[in-house]
Parts: sequence; C-alpha cells; structure tokens
Amino acid sequence: MQKNVRSYVTTGATAGALPGSAVQAGELTEKMSIRNVSFFYGQFEALKSISVPLYDRKVTAFIGPSGCGKSTLLRILNRIYDLYPKQRASGEVLLDGQNILEPGIDLNLLRAKVGMVFQKPTPFPLTIYDNIAFGIRLYERLPRDEMDGRVEQALRRAALWNEVKDKLNQSGLSLSGGQQQRLCIARAIAVNPSVLLMDEPASALDPISTSKIEELIDELKSEYCICIVTHNMQQAARASDFTAFMYMGELIEHGVTEDLFTTPKQKRTEEYITGRFG
Amino acid sequence: MTDTALQAGSRASGGSQAKRQIVMDRAFQSATAFFAFLVLVILGGVFVSLVMGALPALSTFGFSFAYMQVWNPVTEKFGALAPIYGTVMTALIAMAVGIPISFGIAVFLTELAPPWLKGPVSTGIELLAGIPSIIYGIWGLFVFAPIFQQTLQPFLIDTVGQLPLIGHIFAGPPYGIGIFTAGLILGIMVLPFITAIMRDVFETVPPMVKESAYGLGATTWEVVWKVVLPYTRVGVIGGIMLGLGRALGETMAVTFVIGNAHRIGKTLMAPGTTISAAIANEFNEAVGELYISSLIALGLILFFITFAVLAIAKIMLMRMQKRAGG
Repeated sequence: MQKNVRSYVTTGATAGALPGSAVQAGELTEKMSIRNVSFFYGQFEALKSISVPLYDRKVTAFIGPSGCGKSTLLRILNRIYDLYPKQRASGEVLLDGQNILEPGIDLNLLRAKVGMVFQKPTPFPLTIYDNIAFGIRLYERLPRDEMDGRVEQALRRAALWNEVKDKLNQSGLSLSGGQQQRLCIARAIAVNPSVLLMDEPASALDPISTSKIEELIDELKSEYCICIVTHNMQQAARASDFTAFMYMGELIEHGVTEDLFTTPKQKRTEEYITGRFG
Repeated sequence: MTDTALQAGSRASGGSQAKRQIVMDRAFQSATAFFAFLVLVILGGVFVSLVMGALPALSTFGFSFAYMQVWNPVTEKFGALAPIYGTVMTALIAMAVGIPISFGIAVFLTELAPPWLKGPVSTGIELLAGIPSIIYGIWGLFVFAPIFQQTLQPFLIDTVGQLPLIGHIFAGPPYGIGIFTAGLILGIMVLPFITAIMRDVFETVPPMVKESAYGLGATTWEVVWKVVLPYTRVGVIGGIMLGLGRALGETMAVTFVIGNAHRIGKTLMAPGTTISAAIANEFNEAVGELYISSLIALGLILFFITFAVLAIAKIMLMRMQKRAGG
C-alpha cells in the first residue's frame, strides 16, 4: 500500500495544498481540503492558517506534541466545536467541494457525513443494539428486520459481531474497553459517513485492543477517508498513508508517511520523530 | 505509624498505639452504626404511635374508613376518601406542571443557556426553594387565586371544559381556590427541587458522550432525550420522587388555597382537602377520641401512600435497569 501511494505522489498533477507532491488526478482524490484554517479559543489562536488535504480512501495521521492543535483541527472537521461558545474557526474546509465552515450549513447532515471516534470509548447507556441503531434512527425509519441487518453489518465491519452477536440486548457499557471502542466505531460507520475522524482512538486501550483497532483502520480505509490524531508515532507510521506534523498550532510538514518518517524535510519534524523534544 | 510499629525497638509503644487505634475504629464503627440504627428506631416509633393513635378509628370503621367519603364530626362518622383523593390529585397536578417545566429549565441551563445567564437563573431557582411554604400559601390565596379566578380559570372552563370526555374535569364555576389551584401552587413549589437535581445530574454526563451523539448528527433534543436522560435516569427519578414526596406532604400552602371541603367535587376546579391540610386544620378543634383518632388514621394513610410511592419508584428503576440491559 505504501508503495502505491508513493507512486501516486511522484507522478501526475499537483493536488491541493501539498507543496512539491505531485498527485495523479483520479487515483488520489481530495475528500476534504483544509485551506488557511485558523482557530480561536476566545482570543487565543490555537491554529494558525493550516492548509492540508485529506485524501479519499487513505489514512491521514496528525502527530505532534500535546497542545499542538491536532485534536482542535479534528474538531473543526465536523464542527463539533460549534457546541461551545467563544470557539470559532476561519478559513475554508471543503468537503466534496462545499465549504463546511459557511454559516448556512446543516450541521446534523454534516456530522452524519463526517463521523467521529473519541479518545475514550463513549458508548451510550443503551443496549449494544440500540447504540448502533441510535444513529441510523436519526435519519431513517427502517422496519425491524432491515434495522437488524444494518446493525449486524456495522458490527461486522467493526470486527465486533462475533463477540457480541449473542448479547445484543446487554448494555454497551458491559463490554471491555477495546470492545467499547469498536462499538463506537461501528456506531460511527453505521450511518454511512464518508469521512471518519479518530481522536487518539487507541490511547486508552491495551496493546491487543490497539492492534485490533489498527487492523480495523486498515480495513476501513478501503471505504472511507480516515483522519486520525495520535500521540503514538509508531501507530502513525503503521496505520497511515499520509502524515502531518503539527507544532504550536502550525502545520510543519505534511507528506507521504514513509517519506516523512525516513526523510523529513523540516528540522523540527526530524527532531520530533527522533524524540529530541515533545 | 505502622512503620514504627514494625520496628523492633519500639514494639511496646507501637503495640499500645495499635491497640488504641483498634479501639478508636471500633468506637467509630459503633457510633455510626448507632446513628444509622436510630433512623429505623425513629421510623418504627412514628409508625407504632400512628397505628396506636389510629386504632380506635380503624376498629370503629374498619376498611370502610379508606373508601368512605363522609366526614361528619357531629355524627362522628369519618371516612378518608376525600382527603386521599385531594392528596393524590394535587400531587399529580403538581407533577404534571412541575416535571415538564423543571425538565425544560434543566435542559436549558445545561445544554443551551449562554454562560452569563446560567448564574442568575440557577440562583433564582435556589431562592425559590428557600421561600417558606406559608408565603406560597398567602401569595396563593391573596394574589394568585383571584387572578386565576378571573383569567385562566374561566378560559379553561370555556375551552377545555367544553370538550367531550375530559371536559367535565375542568367544568363548573370558577371558585379561584380548589384542588386545581392547590396543584398549581404545589407545582411551583416542587419546581426548584426537581430542577436543581435534574440540572446537577445532567451535568454529570461526560461531555465526550454528548459530543458522540452530536457527532452522529443528533439534535439537542435527541441528545437530551436519548442519551442524557437514559444516562441520568436514576438521578432524574430521584429528583421527581423528592418533589412528589414534598407535594404529597405539603401542608400550609395547600391549606390556604384548597378550600378545605371534605368532599370529592365533580371537577378539579372544586374545593377539596388533602390529608395534611385536614390534619392541620382540624386537629386544634377536634373533640372526642374518635375524631382525633380519625385524623391520626389519616396520617397513617399518608405514611402508606408515601411508602407506596417510594416502592413504585424503586420497582420502576429496577425495570428500567433491566430494559437497558445494565
């Protein structure tokens, strides 16, 4: 996979705001384009004019020290920051060509298209079945058997079906941490989003659960544009196709994961990935 | 301290210290156990004295005491149905008014209100809870009831009162005071309690769980109804039960505005009485063993009603727990 990505990048036309990387049109499409996005918590500028593309059916990882703004960036992409007063973003985020930062946008529809998975598992205090059906019911009225099918499909895609198929009526909270996180991923993909945002999805999990989540990400990227924030550089190297390194609210470097980790162009990237700070 | 106890040189002093700690622990344990036990003793004592006081009435009237409507001190015929009806109806009206409003306020405060508005509204709610019930009673009688009689009540009688099936509940002359008025006043009184508890438990929902629901595209209403409420159901029901308990037992405010009539009116607008209002009103003037005993028997019935409400709440919670698979 990595090799393929590389060949896209070294041939063809330039895409979006990735300087120097030539991307062949058609094979690598920009699902989301983040253009000159700045973000403010009150007066504090947390992000400074970030521009970065997110490609369809690829995993883009955001790495950087704590407080560099990577989670903040993720929270812009489905406008979840809108829930809080005094937080605002400027610039443009295009999703399939439409600027989602425009005031008139339908937030509920946007969030259906851009799913999100959080640092800690956040199952709702409902049964496993209802956790998945929750999102579907927001948009569709399905007869019971169709709903059963959708729930099963989502759980299968999240590699959880075999573990929970006999206890769908138990509380989502009764599952283990890793299972809960996969339940949350299943819940997010049940509404058929086109983009999946993951904010350190494995940071609260044990190594086995972590590797399961990473496998899952690898499988899911055949269908979604995935954007993952992680503290774990090995995870970024393992799981992503593109990596963006952020520092103090700025985007320092973005490129093909392998290139960024082997031949970083910026000195600060090199220092960070070799563990000299952060 | 355990470190010194383990040192060989100071074994003697350490031993005595450890002994003292054991004694202290025991004393603490027995003291707390005694306080906890005291609750049961007091409860048992109240129950026993209620039963003993009610015995003459109960042995005279038997079970008919609970379903007879007559309340005649002159002929010494007493039945508790009217006060029971009044107690239950006013509490139900209070809940019907109080729960939705409290829920609305709590949702607004936790989910929607801009920060500058949260403080004043919260403080207002808490101040409302601090007003003594007699003030509510006086306000209800002299301010609320006349306005109610001239505006809302005729309106209700003319509109809802004309409907088939449920119309007769709201029909009849506008007295101003009565079961409905008492229920409304009670609704206002229980509102701060239910609101405060709902607000507090709503705030215990982790922001990330709410964000997950918003992140799926849920509206505020859907988040509150399908995530926040299930998450906080125990606390919410607890708050409602606290309000209901207060509504069932409230005395002064109700006595002022209910009309104190020992009968079951055809409409909710009619005057009535509640158990606590009847006791407060008549205990002073009650003459004869049977009269006093009947009033005490009313108290016993209130005791049972409260107990039943608590039991139902517990059963409800257990059922919900089961349904949620937890």
